Amino acid sequence: MTNGASAGPSGVITRTYKPGSIIYFEGDKSDYIYILKSGKVVLTSIKLDTGEEVKEEVRQGEFFGVKSSLGKYPREETAQTTGNTMVLVLMPADFERLVLKNSSVVRKMLRVFSNQLRRIVKMERSVLGEGEIVNPDAELFKIGEYYYKEGIGQHAQYAYKKYMEYYPDGEHAALAMKRIRAIDSGEALPDEAAGGPHTDQGTGGAGGHSADDLSGPADMLDFDDTATPEDGPVDPGAGRTALSDEMDDFLSNPGAGGADDRALDDMAAGSVFEMSDSAGASMSRGSYSTALDLYRKILSMNKNSNPEEKKIFEEAHFNAGRCLMELKKSADALDLFSKILRNFPSSPYLKNAIFNIGIIFESANQKEKAITYFNKVLNMPPRDKLNSDALTKIKILQGK
Amino acid sequence: MAMALDEKFFEKFGIEYAPNEIIFCEFEPGNEFYFIQSGRVRIVKLIQNREKNLTVMTEGDVLGEMAILEEQPRSATAIAMDHVKLLKFHRDNFDALISGNPQLAYKLLVIFSKRIYEAKRRLMILLLEEPQLKVMDVLVMLVEQDPHLDMQNVVSLQVTAQDVARWAGITEDETQKELTHLSRLDKIELFGDRIVVKKIREFQRLVASKRKSMYQ
Repeated sequence: MTNGASAGPSGVITRTYKPGSIIYFEGDKSDYIYILKSGKVVLTSIKLDTGEEVKEEVRQGEFFGVKSSLGKYPREETAQTTGNTMVLVLMPADFERLVLKNSSVVRKMLRVFSNQLRRIVKMERSVLGEGEIVNPDAELFKIGEYYYKEGIGQHAQYAYKKYMEYYPDGEHAALAMKRIRAIDSGEALPDEAAGGPHTDQGTGGAGGHSADDLSGPADMLDFDDTATPEDGPVDPGAGRTALSDEMDDFLSNPGAGGADDRALDDMAAGSVFEMSDSAGASMSRGSYSTALDLYRKILSMNKNSNPEEKKIFEEAHFNAGRCLMELKKSADALDLFSKILRNFPSSPYLKNAIFNIGIIFESANQKEKAITYFNKVLNMPPRDKLNSDALTKIKILQGK
Repeated sequence: MAMALDEKFFEKFGIEYAPNEIIFCEFEPGNEFYFIQSGRVRIVKLIQNREKNLTVMTEGDVLGEMAILEEQPRSATAIAMDHVKLLKFHRDNFDALISGNPQLAYKLLVIFSKRIYEAKRRLMILLLEEPQLKVMDVLVMLVEQDPHLDMQNVVSLQVTAQDVARWAGITEDETQKELTHLSRLDKIELFGDRIVVKKIREFQRLVASKRKSMYQ
């Protein structure tokens, strides 16, 4: 996969890939934005309406992974190399700095994004059978009527005035004028005594449109300069020696249980994918020992040759660790999490693994070590819930 | 985070609203878009002749950005909640504006990225054929979009059948029927103001596999 990674002077990472490597999968969550420096990258996505596979080649010097990074949602395409390839990896803050210096890049992207948005909104409307709004004048008048009847003169007034502004000869013009005068003269509105409008409060969060998921200040905070790019990329291998020492400490603790080797031979031998799926299902049911058996089987098969298998293999390490934690076998869990640190420094599970190591030390009452690991999490991009959870943990452990 | 703009800029494009004042109204022609400099703005829509709160926008948010893309009436009403300061731009000034203000352009880039995804995700739901799948996928979408919820756990969503119906693009009656069915199967629990999903991962997997087979 990644054969080499090195940090440039600006903290921007360069990565090299062999042909056929996956840079990211559809569905992955990541903040990274890439620039193709040399080689070849193909983006494969599925067309929404037809299920068709669409392949798009990235040209040298072009960005990819921008939309999902900025919008903070899972990757919508798989990025795969078809030759020896070198890419630059940017965090959103690096990307922002870069494009702000070159406004024509932003303008070009904005044009592409607006066209995509316009197309998709059009498609949505046609699926909903909404099409163009047929009578915006009548609808606007209705808004006025609604607020008038609810006794909210100010809002009714606004809608009637807009109606008169845009449709002075419209069929409701006479009534709109009459209402405007009535409100001006302070005449009692129909519902004034009834205690105002019926507003459905408390459903604002419905549909994922809560105030803070809409590109609000929270979003911009993530792009704040303090969000670590200045410190350069995190080196996950940095704590390696320290961890193995601590592992020894931990393992010498009484009460740390040994591995529980179950016979797995009777289990139907499916593909790693099926096993991973059913392990995931067991886990969500809370059947941790069943899930653990399946994950261990995946680990013992040691299938790691193609990117899909590698992904499952890494996930199995992590989830087996989680199952072990649930089963109170902390030493074994620690062993698996530290394998992720050692063997898969670019794994998406790395941060979670480090966090869980912190949890294990915390529950073993080894405060200092727990704090060390939570501290590592604290500085790891992308800034997400785990970073703030780590901070909370540190505060609690330090008794603040 | 307010945009770092000089006084002159605010003099030229700035506009202020008193609490409870309408900024724009649903179905009014929309030619301008706004950046919120300070204050809070309530976004509401009349649904079945009731005013429904959709969201609250605050400092740093953009309002009415669809006006940049097309000449369509406003799809919702924006009302100032407190003393609100905005920057107001006409569609025609868009190109000039972003050439001179890469920071505004970058902000729009981030917002469009989100909107594209949200619209695509909704479209994915609408393109499903069976109402039951649509309802399940709405629930999956709501979990995906809430960073505090985990697919592995039991989740509680602050939604009503009416909300789900709107996302799924089906009638409220139909939605209620599907929700009741799912609750009889013990997949979900229905409360007045929220829906508890026992195994959202299961819904996710089912929808994904149906979606796959739909194309074959």
